[in-house]
Parts: sequence; structure tokens; C-alpha cells
Amino acid sequence: MGLLYQLKDQYKTLSIVGMAKNAGKTTALNYLIEEAMDEGMFLGVTSTGRDGETCDLVTNTDKPKVYLDTGTIVTVPVQLYELAETGLEIIKKTRFGTALGELLICRVADSGYVQIAGPVNTADHRKLCEEIASLGVDLILIDGAIDRKSIAAPETSDAIILATGAVLSRTIRKVVEETVHIVNLYSMDRLEAGPVREMIASEIAGENRITLVKKGGQTQHLDLKTGLGASRFLDEVIDDETTHVYIPGALTQSVIADIHPAKLARVQIVLKDPTRIFIGALPWQQLKKRGFHVCVMEKIEVAAVTVNPFSPEGYSFDHEELLRAMQDGIGDRIPVVDVKLG
Amino acid sequence: MSNTTTATTTLDLTKIKPYGDTMNDGMVQMSFTLPVPAGEEACEAARLLMKKMGFDEPSVVYFKDLGIGYTYFVCYGKCTHTVDYTAIKVTKVEVEIMDRLECEKYINENIKRTVTMVGASTGTDAHTVGIDAIMNMKGFHGHFGLERYHGINAINMGSQVPNEELVAKAIETKADAILVSQTVTQKDVHIPNLTQMVELCEAEGIRDKIVLVCGGPRISHELAQELGYDAGFGPNTHAEDVASFVLTEIVRRGLV
Repeated sequence: MGLLYQLKDQYKTLSIVGMAKNAGKTTALNYLIEEAMDEGMFLGVTSTGRDGETCDLVTNTDKPKVYLDTGTIVTVPVQLYELAETGLEIIKKTRFGTALGELLICRVADSGYVQIAGPVNTADHRKLCEEIASLGVDLILIDGAIDRKSIAAPETSDAIILATGAVLSRTIRKVVEETVHIVNLYSMDRLEAGPVREMIASEIAGENRITLVKKGGQTQHLDLKTGLGASRFLDEVIDDETTHVYIPGALTQSVIADIHPAKLARVQIVLKDPTRIFIGALPWQQLKKRGFHVCVMEKIEVAAVTVNPFSPEGYSFDHEELLRAMQDGIGDRIPVVDVKLG
Repeated sequence: MSNTTTATTTLDLTKIKPYGDTMNDGMVQMSFTLPVPAGEEACEAARLLMKKMGFDEPSVVYFKDLGIGYTYFVCYGKCTHTVDYTAIKVTKVEVEIMDRLECEKYINENIKRTVTMVGASTGTDAHTVGIDAIMNMKGFHGHFGLERYHGINAINMGSQVPNEELVAKAIETKADAILVSQTVTQKDVHIPNLTQMVELCEAEGIRDKIVLVCGGPRISHELAQELGYDAGFGPNTHAEDVASFVLTEIVRRGLV
């Protein structure tokens, strides 16, 4: 039974996010599509193209090129439509623009390679996915941008498939460590429902400032433009009464470095989603040991992890060894698939 | 002998190949190291490898034992491939380049306020040569840097600046543009560093409010866009190229 077949009942849209450039994201996409074709699934495929992203129509190097079977629904911009090596039947012209012209929703009439593109922002993406879903597809796959994880944000899709591989490091241990770190971050706890959550939710909808929540439920908004480099200031304002600190932007070392360890262990840091965290695996574990806790407003569902044992730098790992190490590291909750093993 | 090596001594731009001393001779000189001890076998290995690379008449013209089982080679061979020069299209930053005075006039007429640009050589990179050539007052090769431009507040933070410091500075100064320089690119260290910059800007919610530009010897406009930058500048870029792009982009995106 294929991976996607098992996932289609749980999720409607899946984004594929790469751990690094050349982690095997497109390989993963092609693998999943091939598997879905064997299962006879009705797929929709789109991408998170950005404004102006790779316009080189001559070399075709960077635009994701995927093999699609007859019947698949795909989004193609006008300028790439003429370059498609397959028969594409236009179902609908959308109002979403890309750097390569307006987006067309097409049905693949004759299987072959297609270059995919999609809308620029997440709001448009949601609407586009709704339009594709209305055509009755079983599942929508979104091809994420090269190694940018910000597109994993929960607004875009129901869940992600994390593509990782040998390119991350020459040692399996490090590849597993980095990947497990990201998986753990993405599946971290949501802030529990209650008055604090409501308060922070209304702050996000409003001015989105750095906000301190006190024991009695009072809030204190800070007049800081960013949390970056502001840890000394944060240390001053966190007092015995502070229970939560909401940080709207990025969480980096410089946001927390100078906060007193005792204070840091006492308060709960709240972030919008896990893509805001910019702290590596090792320092993160050290912080955890010191009682540091973070929760998020929205977490990211990781539906599966794909591994690619080959690095474009010329080295590779043993299929079985990498797969086993990764599954051990991640645990049973998330399936791990080797996209090269098939 | 294959037909690729027969002499066609006229230049055909649709089929260009390397030039040694005769048009279209395809002659290439290359050097590499093999992890084997010097000797006849090593030279034969180098020749076979060249053959596999598609070179005709491979020959080792020089080799030297590097010690502990490594040999360095200098080889000649005839390239059998050609490239259609006339069909090449390179993605470049498409903007009309204005000189310094035109840039200043453009700011006066279209933006009507001081434009702030924050730049640095980021990550582990200790080389300021790139960012200095663009930002420092004296500039480079007779092209004055951004600090000399009236109407531009150029802040050069120097080298080895962590991404988060650069972003914090940009937020603090309400910068219109962030200029990232990456000179050291061994093992592609610049790639994760450059994408982290984009992610940080996204996380801080300023990505759509600033013009994000990178530059360096191994950066192309195409790569930069793939990584999520607005533009990328390779070698032979001067301050006016960067300024023209940033200023035009500010107006185009309505960030005035």
C-alpha cells in the first residue's frame, strides 16, 4: 500500500518541504506521484512559485519538472504552457498571476514532463487549492520552494512531507540529528485553549507586538520593533508575575541569550508557528536541559519523512542503514520512506 | 579520427568550441589530482579519465607526486563538444543602469526622501572586499560607492555579521534594502546562509517591505531568485548597478 494512499484520508493538501537544497525534494515528489499513479489516485499538483523565481525558459534547469500521468490536474503559467512536453487540456484560467504569466488549471491529456508553477502568496494558494479540490481530486501535492522552510507554515497546507537526505552531512548521525530536530520543532505543543491563547490570538490579528502575559491575566505590550538582539531588554521586563512571552517574529539566540536562566525556565515562550525558530539542534537541546519551554499557536503536521541516501557531492549512504537510523530517530509516529529504494 | 576534430577553420557561432592555436581545434588544458601514487599507471588513469570526459587525444604533459599516494596532473585534450552561442539567454537583472548623478536625480524625483541601505558580509565570511566595493565612499575601479550618493544612507556593517544582527539593524533603521555579500563559498556554505537570511526576514515579517539583494563571485541573478532574493549580482558589479536596481524596485513595488 502506497504512502499517499494511506495519507489521502487524513489530509487534503500536502506540501513537500526540503531540509536543504538538493535534499531530494523533486525526487520525493516524483516518487510520490509515481506511487499514486500505480494506486490509480486522482492527483492535483501545484507549486509555491515566488514572484520572479527562476525565469530561465531556455535551460529549464530550476523549475521543477515532474512526470505526470494522464488525468492529473496541474497548474501551469501561460508562458510554461507552450513549453510543456505533454498534452495539456486547459480547464480554467485563474486570476492568479505569476512571473511567468497567469496561472492555468490544466488536465494532463497525454502523460509526460510538465513544469509546474503556483501562486505567490499563501492566501491565493489556499483559494487555488480550493478550486483544484472542487474538481474532485483525492489529494493535492504542493511542491515547496528549494529549501525554504517558511512555506511549511500551517496556512498553506494540512501537512508536510519533509524531504531530507545525504546532502545535509557526510555522517548519518548528523543527517538524522538535524532532521529529527526539525521534526520535533514542527510537532511541538500548541498553546492550550484558554484566556492566554485568546489574548495572543487577538494580538496577532491586531498590532502583533511582543507581549508579556502576567499571572492575573494582564498583558504588557512592549515598544520593541523586533526581538532580535533584544534579550537584555526582555530580561529586564520579565518579572516574577510573567507567565508567557509572545514573540511575533523570529526566535534566535540573540532573542534569549541575555535572559536570566531562572526567568527563562519560568516563562513560556509563545511563537506563531515553528518556522520562526532559528536555533540549531545542539543549542536547542542545551536550552531544553535548562528548562526552556516554547509552544506555538499553530504547529505543523509532518505526514511523512523521505530520505535520499545520495548526495550530489558524490557520496552516499547505505539505503537500509540510513532508513533504519532515521526511523529510530523519529520514532513510530511518522513514516519514513526511501525515495531511491522504491 | 572522428569528424569533430577535422579542421573547419572558420568561426561558426552556432558551434563554438575551445581555441588553442587554430580555430576550432578544441584544445583544452586542465589540471587535477588523483588519489594514486605517481607512475605509468597513474598517467594512464588520467588519460582514461579524460577519454571518459569526452576528450579526444588526451595527453598528460606534466605530473608530479604530491606525496602520500597523490599525483597532480596537467593534461591536454581536444574537446569534442560544441555550444550554440547564438541561442544563449542568461537571466540578468533587468533594469536600466543609471550613473551616480542619475540615481540621485531619480531619488529626488521619485522617492523624495533618504533611502537607507544596510549591507554586510554575513555568516563566517570575513571578506569585506565585495561589500566595500559597493558601499565604501571610494568605491572600486573608479566607481564611487553608495556612501558617496546623496540621498542614500549607506550602512556598512563589515564582515562576519550574523544574519540576525543584519536583520535587526535593518528593522532598527527602517532600511529600504538589505545588501548581503558572500565572498567565501567553499562547499557551498553561502547557500544555507543566504536562505536563512530570507527565512529570518519572512519570520520577522519584513520580507515584503524591503528589497533583498545579494552579491558575490559565485552568485548569479538566477541563483539569487531561486533562493528567494529580489536580485543577485555577480562579478564586475559596481555601486550604480545595485543602486539602480534597488531604487527602481522601491518605486515599482510602491515602497516609496
